[in-house]
Amino acid sequence: MIEVEGLTKRYGDFTAVNQLSFTVRPGEVLGLVGPNGAGKTSTLRSVAGIIPPNGGTIRIAGIDLAADPVGAKRRLAFFPDEPRLFDYLTVSQHLAFVARIYGVVDHEEIAAPLLEELELANKADALPGELSRGMKQKLAIACGLLHAPAVMFFDEPLTGLDPLGIRRMKDSILRRAHEGAAIVLSSHLLHLLEEVCSHVLILKQGTKIADGTIAEVSAQFAHGESGVSLEEIFMRATGGSET
Amino acid sequence: MIRALLYLRGYSLLNLLRTRAQRLRQPKYLFGLIAGIAYFWFFFFRNFAGSGLPGRGAGVDPVQFIFAALAVLGLIRIASAWLAPTPKPSLDFSEAEIAFLFPAPATRRQLVHFKLLGTQITILLSSLLLTLLTRRGAMLGGNPVIHAVGWWLVLSLAHLHNLGAAFTVARLVEGGMSRTRRQLLVGGVITALIAGIAWGVWTSAPDASTWMAAWQEQHIGDPLGTAVLAAYIREVSGTGIIAWLLLPFRIALAPFFAPDTATFLKALGPALLLLAAHYFWVMRNAVSFEEASIAAAEKRAVLIAKLQAGQRPLSRGAPKARKPPFPLRPGGGWPEVAFLWKNLLSTHPWLGPRAFVPAALLAFMLATAIPPKLWFVPIIAAVYFVLLGPQLARQDLRSDLVNADLLKSYPLPGWRIVLGQLLAPAAILSGLLWLALLTVFVTSGRASGGPVWLTSPFRLSGLVCIAILIPPVCLLQLLVPNAGAVIFPSWAQTARPGRGGIEVMGQRLIFVAGQMMVLLAAVVPAGGFAVLAGFAASLTASPASAFVTGAVTLLLALGAEISLGIFWLGRRFERFDLSAESLK
Repeated sequence: MIEVEGLTKRYGDFTAVNQLSFTVRPGEVLGLVGPNGAGKTSTLRSVAGIIPPNGGTIRIAGIDLAADPVGAKRRLAFFPDEPRLFDYLTVSQHLAFVARIYGVVDHEEIAAPLLEELELANKADALPGELSRGMKQKLAIACGLLHAPAVMFFDEPLTGLDPLGIRRMKDSILRRAHEGAAIVLSSHLLHLLEEVCSHVLILKQGTKIADGTIAEVSAQFAHGESGVSLEEIFMRATGGSET
Repeated sequence: MIRALLYLRGYSLLNLLRTRAQRLRQPKYLFGLIAGIAYFWFFFFRNFAGSGLPGRGAGVDPVQFIFAALAVLGLIRIASAWLAPTPKPSLDFSEAEIAFLFPAPATRRQLVHFKLLGTQITILLSSLLLTLLTRRGAMLGGNPVIHAVGWWLVLSLAHLHNLGAAFTVARLVEGGMSRTRRQLLVGGVITALIAGIAWGVWTSAPDASTWMAAWQEQHIGDPLGTAVLAAYIREVSGTGIIAWLLLPFRIALAPFFAPDTATFLKALGPALLLLAAHYFWVMRNAVSFEEASIAAAEKRAVLIAKLQAGQRPLSRGAPKARKPPFPLRPGGGWPEVAFLWKNLLSTHPWLGPRAFVPAALLAFMLATAIPPKLWFVPIIAAVYFVLLGPQLARQDLRSDLVNADLLKSYPLPGWRIVLGQLLAPAAILSGLLWLALLTVFVTSGRASGGPVWLTSPFRLSGLVCIAILIPPVCLLQLLVPNAGAVIFPSWAQTARPGRGGIEVMGQRLIFVAGQMMVLLAAVVPAGGFAVLAGFAASLTASPASAFVTGAVTLLLALGAEISLGIFWLGRRFERFDLSAESLK
């Protein structure tokens, strides 16, 4: 469960996120959308405990992120748009490293099926430099899933993936949600939202424009018209321009 | 076509200078430039107009000695160009140059000229820089113009010779010469050269043992015996067959070492003829270089990208999977160990824990083999490690700053991440300093004489105390550049290799100076406590016990300072937001 109340993030005089509140329950997938510079990445980084917010409260699986950041981070996983990997650690060494950081004692039992599922089993001794972009993404996901997080944040999860990789990523996100994880993902790809997300939150200039299920948000901006596409809804909500 | 190439060269240079000038609006570059200029002024320009008279001591002429030594080095360098030539010669074209010029209607000859012209810009700049370096203290005599032209000649000749050798070998291969025949030919020439040198040494200086005995004697005012060494090298290189072998190198170096204008002009003629001969040799043998140039440009682009991403600058090849430095258990607390494990994996295997015991044995053997008069050499190495080690061993937050988002998502307080990141470079530097300490201890133990109070127990207690103090001192040293990376990330990022300029060099100087100042600020008060405690102990106990008391006090004081420093830096790291920083 993710509970965000009054989140504010400023860079100097510029307010990237302004009084943002939302909740994501177990099994829900919230899509964070908005034009470039709307505050999506700042929001994701703040709720993942990567950057300190200037105001508001964030609770991850019931744990206050400000009061107990270590406890909260044990329950979450953050997946950046570009897989961040260590150049000199092999696939299996990455998992051993993450297991030590998160204290996952039985990591080999967990890692084996995970590598199988992500089709990395035969790449255990490969370095990131020897992996394709999609393989790197899978390794980053394997590292994030090793400690069975209850909350997951994906920043542009489909960046750089081929059609097969996109399909698998969508399946993976949905499977974790069905297993009870609360998931937030940010993306510019509206078809991803339609296929994967149960809820959507539209941001513009750091402020929430709309929040709810896709049907609720569509209804809010359809103005009674039927068959309005999500793309059209997005354009109406945001004005269709960069911020 | 050549006008277009000149246009490209000219405007590229002009725009580079303009960009460098524009970035001076940013304080980090402006202050860096000021520091860089100050450095050049105080260390080079102040002495630029010196008398130019070479210093002469203990009967040795350093100019002649350096002349001979450089000629020998040149011979070795040229020999290596033939011994291990590039099978497919490449010219250093950038990816953009390849994209625009290779499909353009330009002849191969024009492309070679374009590249030679581009190399000349680099060589001219290098010549100016080397002139500054070699003019320091006016040790080599001559005047700045002579030195600048001398350097230009030497560097141009070296470049043309390497290119010519690569082209010639490639032409031989293209002409059907088998690999075995080529290796036999090159091997035969190299063997003949080595045999010639050996014969020269044997015939012109048969009394090498006499020279060795003379060198091992004590020399007042010249503890290393450089005068004897120089005289020996001068005699060997100036007589017999070696003198003939070194003749081309002497011709190339003669203008540089000319003491006056008349001698310089006299030496310039043969050197220019040698240069012209090399130019015609290169142009006559120019073979297909395009394919190798494309491969080289791609490699270079990958290397630059790695450098700009803050990755290992010394490695040109792709990293290889390696055995971990030690087994990492998944549970069991102390996640800092995982960072040590990870960062040791990212460095050279011979800097890992498995290499320490063989290195210690080697250091011990070396210490027992080198003359006792050289006991101070490992001390110089230790000072080098202390001063520059933290700038070179960067397997810490500095190299992981690009992964800050990932690190901050870990369920760890900031101080544990900082401590974990510092462990690998601290372990590497401590290991190197321990080896230097061991060498000093063994070598100094063999030296005769010394003060009465320097007893064996005192030396042993000193060894143990210093060995214990080394890791905290290294940690303290490393805290400074890591704090710099977190507090001023944009400065730390631009201080990485891969972005040149006097202002970037100045930034590095500022960092080193800051590091030394913080170290002094931390060590001086702690050292004061240690001296007081040691003095108090010396009133009632032996000098060795007083030394140990002082060292323990220093250890405790440094430990407290380091703990505070790591905790503070951890808090800063928790609030660190790379996205809010300017990385331009």
